[in-house]
Amino acid sequence: MMATPVRVRLVLPRKPRAELLATRAVEEAGQRIAFPRDTLAEVKLAVVEACLNAFEYGLGEIEVEVVAHPDNAHAWIEVAVVDHGPGFDPAGVARPILEDKLKSRRKRGWGLELIRRLMDEVEITSQPGLTRIRMIRRTGGV
Amino acid sequence: METFELKVADQHGTLAVLEVAGYINNEGGEVIAKEARKLLDAGSRTLLLDLRSTRIINSIGISLLLEVLERTLEVNGLLAFCSLTPSIAKTFQIMGLAQYARIFPDRPSALAELAPAQ
Repeated sequence: MMATPVRVRLVLPRKPRAELLATRAVEEAGQRIAFPRDTLAEVKLAVVEACLNAFEYGLGEIEVEVVAHPDNAHAWIEVAVVDHGPGFDPAGVARPILEDKLKSRRKRGWGLELIRRLMDEVEITSQPGLTRIRMIRRTGGV
Repeated sequence: METFELKVADQHGTLAVLEVAGYINNEGGEVIAKEARKLLDAGSRTLLLDLRSTRIINSIGISLLLEVLERTLEVNGLLAFCSLTPSIAKTFQIMGLAQYARIFPDRPSALAELAPAQ
């Protein structure tokens, strides 16, 4: 019989370091399914970036849902970060290149690249009023 | 929750070792950038950031580390990191940071290579 997933939902306050509340939820859900610690740390970094994106470009509440799926061989964690900002076109976000960033005054722009490279699956749906970044990391993934 | 602290732990000639503890976000990154600027202006040319007590970094903190890297390269200096957690090491690898900065497994191995030249 498949064990029940661990599900955590939270609404982040618009306060400095609130993204760490989301990492704590990931940590707790991950620990409950014995998700590998180092892999969990990578999920946390990706979630921080999704939350920062939502804080920076979103409006209103930032919602985070963490679902940890226990499975002896293939446990996985799914996180969705939702904001209600104007939305953006993910295809229009340039991939950062370090050499260019070092020459440029704008050194930011690493968030989406890190999310995509730290997670196994990333799905971004965005329209005015609703942006959702859904990401999945499996044991043994990436 | 992840209090940030920075300490200039050691100086060997033009090498300075900075111990970083806690979350490297905009605030932590600014503290590092400010201290790095001060050290470079005072003549340090190799900065070793020991991240043993840092478990989480965000992209704003990363962009501030890139400012430190840029400034270090401008003065023909060297930026180095040691004692990275696996997730931070992976983040740096994704960015390609090892092309411009040195990364060591721990402080003794970093000092063995960086300090004798001082």
